[in-house]
Amino acid sequence: MKSLFRIGQVALAECAGAVRSRRALVILVLYLLSAVFCMMGTITMLGKMEAELANVLQLPESEKTGVVSVTLWKSKPFQRMIKAGVKNDLVYNDIAGRHPAELVYAWFAFMCAPLLAVLVAGNRVADDLKSGAVRYAIVRVTRLEWTLGKYMGQILMVAIALAASAIGAWVVAVFRLSGIGTFELLPAMFVWGARAGLYALAWIGLALGVSHVTRSGSRATALGLVAVALCAAWPNILEYFAGKLDWPWLCHFDALVPSSAEMSLWRSSFVPLFTGGAHLLALGLAYLMLGHAVFARRDA
Amino acid sequence: MIGVALATRDLVKRYGRRRALDGFTLAVPRGAMMGLVGANGAGKTTWMMAVAGFLRFASGTIDLLGRGPFDAKTHAGRFSILPQDSALPLEARPGELLYRYARMQGLSAEAARRSASEMLAAVNLADRARSSVRSLSHGMRMRVRLAQCFLGSPEVVLLDEPLNGLDPVEADRIRRFLRARRGKQTIVVSSHNLHDIETLCTHVAFVEKGRVARTATLEAITRAASRVTYTLAAKPTDMDALAAAVPGAAFTWTDETHALVCSFGESGEGVGAVNRKLLPVLLSQTDVLAVFSGLSLEQAYLGA
Repeated sequence: MKSLFRIGQVALAECAGAVRSRRALVILVLYLLSAVFCMMGTITMLGKMEAELANVLQLPESEKTGVVSVTLWKSKPFQRMIKAGVKNDLVYNDIAGRHPAELVYAWFAFMCAPLLAVLVAGNRVADDLKSGAVRYAIVRVTRLEWTLGKYMGQILMVAIALAASAIGAWVVAVFRLSGIGTFELLPAMFVWGARAGLYALAWIGLALGVSHVTRSGSRATALGLVAVALCAAWPNILEYFAGKLDWPWLCHFDALVPSSAEMSLWRSSFVPLFTGGAHLLALGLAYLMLGHAVFARRDA
Repeated sequence: MIGVALATRDLVKRYGRRRALDGFTLAVPRGAMMGLVGANGAGKTTWMMAVAGFLRFASGTIDLLGRGPFDAKTHAGRFSILPQDSALPLEARPGELLYRYARMQGLSAEAARRSASEMLAAVNLADRARSSVRSLSHGMRMRVRLAQCFLGSPEVVLLDEPLNGLDPVEADRIRRFLRARRGKQTIVVSSHNLHDIETLCTHVAFVEKGRVARTATLEAITRAASRVTYTLAAKPTDMDALAAAVPGAAFTWTDETHALVCSFGESGEGVGAVNRKLLPVLLSQTDVLAVFSGLSLEQAYLGA
């Protein structure tokens, strides 16, 4: 219990520091703006599609976007298109009835989660190692508690970014979309933000784990980006070698990267959500502990 | 006051082929304020870092408060350090930072809040509790770093160059603050300013090439109890009268500094008794401009 308390104290100090850091603030604002512009861009595109559709069907154009698009979204040809894009029947069944704006935000949050994690958390440990600030903490808490506290603190920080982006995207939806159902979108967007947060657990662990092995914040961020790129390429690398060496079992190692559990988070039922979240948390902790193993054996 | 608060034995720390610590053996008595004196690179900072668990050492033993080497689970709140060249988190605010550190080391919320504000007041930064560390001057940051060392009154405190970068007024305040802790906490101070060590410490260790060359009480090192230096207006005219006043004492006159040194180590006399006997004789021959017991630490160090 004492250990948990100390981890919590490190997390609170870390989150307060991260929120006040200029770099994190800039990234948070950029992320919020990205969410807003993504939503605006999508709504503009929907608006153009609706206008085009109205033109083709010789109908009067609607004043606000969304009146036609919800109907369009529910149309069978469009649903078939989505199904082909998702490539997963279970996921398709779970998202089929959702509002398009909700799914646009979800897509954005998931796509940007790795980048957000690396840019926010990538330098935090390395900077403390370089400046020596870590020494004030590790005479009070163990190195492991400090590492886990940093992880918790960064999760809080990313949660703030996701919550802010959900609100930003929702505000755009309220003003730019037809009023039908837009107020119900806010809780739905928070839920998608929380799911993206679960997805980010692994990426934060990766970013912080990498950050433990160097004393340069910029190098840590660069290494984090390389690690994200490697994770993105990982399934293809496995597939290539599985085919080339005739080792089909090699493909099971795709479970070592976060993308393998991403689809579970798009499901509505509890079991896949839980197992996917647990998988991502385990991955995040594994990445973090690899970095910590280096830190635990070196001079601080 | 009885016993040893911190002891290291044959401590070795290597950086490649170089041995930063080469059999560093030192015992710090409980309640002592010990000064570490040595040249740059002698191993003072490395020793402190090893004791705090920041550095992995190759061999040797550390016993901190009778519970083995530093372990945060055992020693958190009982030990603290002012590490050299370690910056505080720039985004933090002193009040909040000290509160959080106090909480980490196990203080209750109320005790942590009280300790943080007491320490900020002690280092004269109560009015900057809510400023960001980034906005503080070098000296102010040093004072916050000092304040974090004394949160919750730990039993053992290591201070590496604690007065570095402080203006004279603040340096004096910190000296008084540290002197008030003599006997209550075990404090080890590393400093190149021997005057600071002399005015603060009860014990001194001379460190050379990664090991302790000599350690003793300040009194023993400066021979404060066995030697008095008189600065006189002129050389005494009758040296035999002086010898007769303090039998067994040896007298040395230095023309350049007009200093008469009286060494009475074997006579068993105290400084007060020697002064009472010698001063009337000296005053009958010349003017006495100053009296100083023992060597200065600098003289003792350079002569060691």
